[in-house]
Amino acid sequence: MSDLLMDAANNLNNESIREWKRAGNRVVGYTCSYVPDELFFAAGILPYRIRGFGATEATIGDTYFGPFICSLPKAMLQLAGEGRYDFLDGAIITPGCDAMRRLDECWRKAGEDIDGIVPKFFFHFGVPHKYADYTLKWFVEEIIRLKTAVEKHFGVTIEQEKLLDAIRLYNRSRDLLDRLDELRTCEAPAVSGTDALAAVLAGTAMPHDEYTKRLDGFIQERKSNAVNYRGRVRLMLVGSASDDVNLVRLIEGDRVVVVADNLCFGSRFQADRVDESGDPIQALARRYLARNDCPRMFGEYESRLTTLMDKAARAGVEGVILQNIRFCDLHGAENGLFERDLEAAGIPCLRIEREYGPLVETGRLKMRVDAFLERIWQRRKAS
Amino acid sequence: MRPETKEYRFDWMLWTMFLAGSRLKNGTEKEYQNTLGYVPYFSGILEALYDTGAPGKAFLECLAKYTENIVFARERGRKTAATSFCFSPAILHAMDIDPICFEVISVMQTFPYKRGSSEFLDFCNEAGFTETSCSSQRGSMGAFLAGMASEIDMIVTDTPGVCDTNANAFAFAATYLKKPFFTLDIPSVLVDGRTDEFQLADFRALIEFLERNTGKKLDEDKLRDVLREMAKQDDMLNELEDLARIVPGPLPGAFNLMIYASRFMFTGMKECTAVIEAMLHVARENAAKGISALSGGVENMRAFFCYIDHYTHNMDFFKYFDERGICYQGNMLSRSWSCDAPHVDAFGTEAAAYEIDTTDLDSMLRSIAAQNSRMPMVKSIRGPYDAPDMWLQDTLSLAKLYSADCVIYNGTPGCRNTWGMVKLLARDTEKAGFPTFIMYGDAFDDRVESWEATKDRLDEFFRVRRLLA
Amino acid sequence: MITAGCDVGSLTSKAVILKDGRILKTAIIKSRPKPADSAVEVMNQALSQAGLSMGDISSCVGTGYGRDRIPFVSDTATEIACHGRGAHWLVPSARTVIDIGGQDCKAIRLDAGGGMLKFTANDKCASGTGRFLEVMARLLGIELSEIGGMSAESKSPITLASACTVWAQADVIQHLNNRVPVADIAAGINNAMAARMAIIVNGIGCERDVVMTGGVAKNAGVVAALEKMLGLRIKRISRSDPQLAGAIGAALIAVDREKGGAA
Repeated sequence: MSDLLMDAANNLNNESIREWKRAGNRVVGYTCSYVPDELFFAAGILPYRIRGFGATEATIGDTYFGPFICSLPKAMLQLAGEGRYDFLDGAIITPGCDAMRRLDECWRKAGEDIDGIVPKFFFHFGVPHKYADYTLKWFVEEIIRLKTAVEKHFGVTIEQEKLLDAIRLYNRSRDLLDRLDELRTCEAPAVSGTDALAAVLAGTAMPHDEYTKRLDGFIQERKSNAVNYRGRVRLMLVGSASDDVNLVRLIEGDRVVVVADNLCFGSRFQADRVDESGDPIQALARRYLARNDCPRMFGEYESRLTTLMDKAARAGVEGVILQNIRFCDLHGAENGLFERDLEAAGIPCLRIEREYGPLVETGRLKMRVDAFLERIWQRRKAS
Repeated sequence: MRPETKEYRFDWMLWTMFLAGSRLKNGTEKEYQNTLGYVPYFSGILEALYDTGAPGKAFLECLAKYTENIVFARERGRKTAATSFCFSPAILHAMDIDPICFEVISVMQTFPYKRGSSEFLDFCNEAGFTETSCSSQRGSMGAFLAGMASEIDMIVTDTPGVCDTNANAFAFAATYLKKPFFTLDIPSVLVDGRTDEFQLADFRALIEFLERNTGKKLDEDKLRDVLREMAKQDDMLNELEDLARIVPGPLPGAFNLMIYASRFMFTGMKECTAVIEAMLHVARENAAKGISALSGGVENMRAFFCYIDHYTHNMDFFKYFDERGICYQGNMLSRSWSCDAPHVDAFGTEAAAYEIDTTDLDSMLRSIAAQNSRMPMVKSIRGPYDAPDMWLQDTLSLAKLYSADCVIYNGTPGCRNTWGMVKLLARDTEKAGFPTFIMYGDAFDDRVESWEATKDRLDEFFRVRRLLA
Repeated sequence: MITAGCDVGSLTSKAVILKDGRILKTAIIKSRPKPADSAVEVMNQALSQAGLSMGDISSCVGTGYGRDRIPFVSDTATEIACHGRGAHWLVPSARTVIDIGGQDCKAIRLDAGGGMLKFTANDKCASGTGRFLEVMARLLGIELSEIGGMSAESKSPITLASACTVWAQADVIQHLNNRVPVADIAAGINNAMAARMAIIVNGIGCERDVVMTGGVAKNAGVVAALEKMLGLRIKRISRSDPQLAGAIGAALIAVDREKGGAA
């Protein structure tokens, strides 16, 4: 993989961002996959997915958040408190889930104690929790409200044509990621799950035009590469947000290849396209609200199960790891249902509750994954 | 769950116990005392309720009626809907649907059961639900998931954007039990024209859902009857809430529980009116005499709970405050008013009050949508805690309105929302001059922190902050 | 054929030497800070009892949390595979295995041939583990081995916060201060432990016969409480010490692997 992509996937303030900022450009961070990146790209602003990656402690996170809260938003706050998000010119908070929603006030209040850690543009973006004509109408209005606020604060105009260009560019990267997926799901995977996650992550942390070029290069490189992961146990990774390639690396070791996922930092990004015809705001609203599937959209379990079953079949998955960050009720509960239904369909599942990031207890996780592999090998032998 | 627990029908047991409980004082005092010995786990709560006099009896009758409705819904050709305490049941009553409020039943169920709700809480985890999820739904949801109770016909809630953990519990139950599911969605701003329009559209969609799943059309006259009864109840509640401002307080602490439990079960129904009427009678009498409702007669201080109270341990929670001469000034569960409440001005957030207008279907739907969106949690924790009309403003206004000497938080470890902001809230209430205490127990599960430990910690707070001598 | 299994756990380390399908010698020691030290010591103990040296062992499988740091093993397997294999050998009718070790607890479902169908493990914290019992016994001023028998003496067990070891300690101290009989507290601890385990076992579906392995299987109070909660009898292991099941399984897997099958 190109160094630039890996750098973007593994470093918050990576080289692309530093270069972008040196040129006097602006960066706006967001916390949830329901925010349309295209809008910012069209404004000449770099949309940046805020992560918790790299936090080594939670002293600041724990000061503002209570104890029974997911460690991902705590890690995000920790990084912000340490000044590691000082390059952000704006931040968008969404009601992705309860804990993520409270990053709003925790971040602002931490900003009262630690100078300069709250970006000047700080926006609460209201995303409905279901898809209907009136929720879509609300969401369109919300995108327009965001657009107006961005234009006013940053003194820019988001022109229709620019927005359509941005939509086309992001769709192009989704097409490329689909091609990458083909290399991952085929019988002799040429791409590891670690690399696949890094490839999607990089797209959330660097200018997208540069990104698509690099991604294309990476795909070409892998196509011509003779190395593959044939014979390894083929797993799918499902559940809570995971922006840490090390988690996938730990799972893969030298005996596994993660051939599919449904992660919000992962392949959910390219699950669909934004309609390139018609009104771009309407098109963005439809894509981001209708098909960007997360358990925050309550009552839609069946469609998510169908998506998983389809992915598992397409990628020849031998087992599914259902993980959730502790206190992530949404993924945690849905994982219980997935386990019931996937096991009934003959797909072995491993359910894991973990802490986020460096807090993961690697020993315990590894033992469970190893035991899961023993179960899968036993099945291979029997069949 | 123990296999033998599954042998007993959950809702039938509750119904028969509350029915018998509500009739216990129909005989002589001696008979009553003798009977208590036969219900060792239920006797504590019975005594606590009967100690309040007529309101306690009316409340027990209310509990019996509620569980009876669940048990016999099918036989009577009615439907049932599992729902949340912060969803106003008025629309369900208007459509001949009996609500099954998970949180209220989680509390009711700790009253007579020896082991409280622990087995039902744990069954949810056995069924695949996360153990970190809120105990308020799990306490009764487990019984329904285990197939120990009457069948639920549909699931209706209104918490996405307010409490996703809550919405998630209902969504899980719907999938697990394969039942139709509808949830109202809640925008983050309360007082806003755009929100009103959204909520009205959402409410119309809800009615379509209810009509589809009951096979009945919404009866405008029936809805009007329910809303008129609700307005009548509101009038009385307004008076009760206003009386609670008097020092010394004329309302016993347990009234808080009885007020909102009745409302969560029977808003707009005559059973709820009876409980409120009985309480109002007692409160008016105490107020006229200028006496405190505390059993010791002396009010040492006033405590306001900014979230919820504690429901296990036979209402020991209310006894605890009573014994120490602390006037328990309720919590956010009962604190939302129609716009004609006498204290709305003093409360300072007039725009957050609702209006009941029964002129036509459209005005009724607007009214019921507005009232529903002012239910506890839905009203004040939908947005950032420090935004207008939200948790901080609500807490400070209420603490001032009720002359509280301190603010106390109690919830459940499953409450992502309040645990995400309670430290910030406590900082601000302290700054505003209210000594503030955060309890780490679980309102529905005494295995998280024992009642003994909780009491010790509360005592320590009152002592260290010099609130009690 | 002589094989060995070495199970380096967080609290204790176990070694088993197996000859032609029979247990030759076994050893259990308290674990040292370094897994390698524990492994060498416990294996030497077993070997010397058997009058053998490491050279006599044709293969040895390591397991337990320290399995990757045992210097002398020919291969490793997870605790889950080893306890499943060991339990099946000890009680061939076993379909559900409950293993409570020092730092976690597991439930394993087996098929008729002893193959692993499914497993689940508690990965929260010390609650519901041997460590939890150890901490509580220390608090009560009794031996770990005594705590199990106390359930039978208790008339009115306390209800304990089962969610957290740290908070449970505070509660136990409070009960001690209130002069609650130690037997009632101990019984409450055993019940809390069993309740925690029951959720995990019911979560994967409990099928007969049920056996318990690991050190906590020797705690009569936990076993009895768990039987009540599951509503069935837990089959006692009589062929060997249940705490050795993991090491026995490891030694059996060593045999399987020598014979060319993967376990």
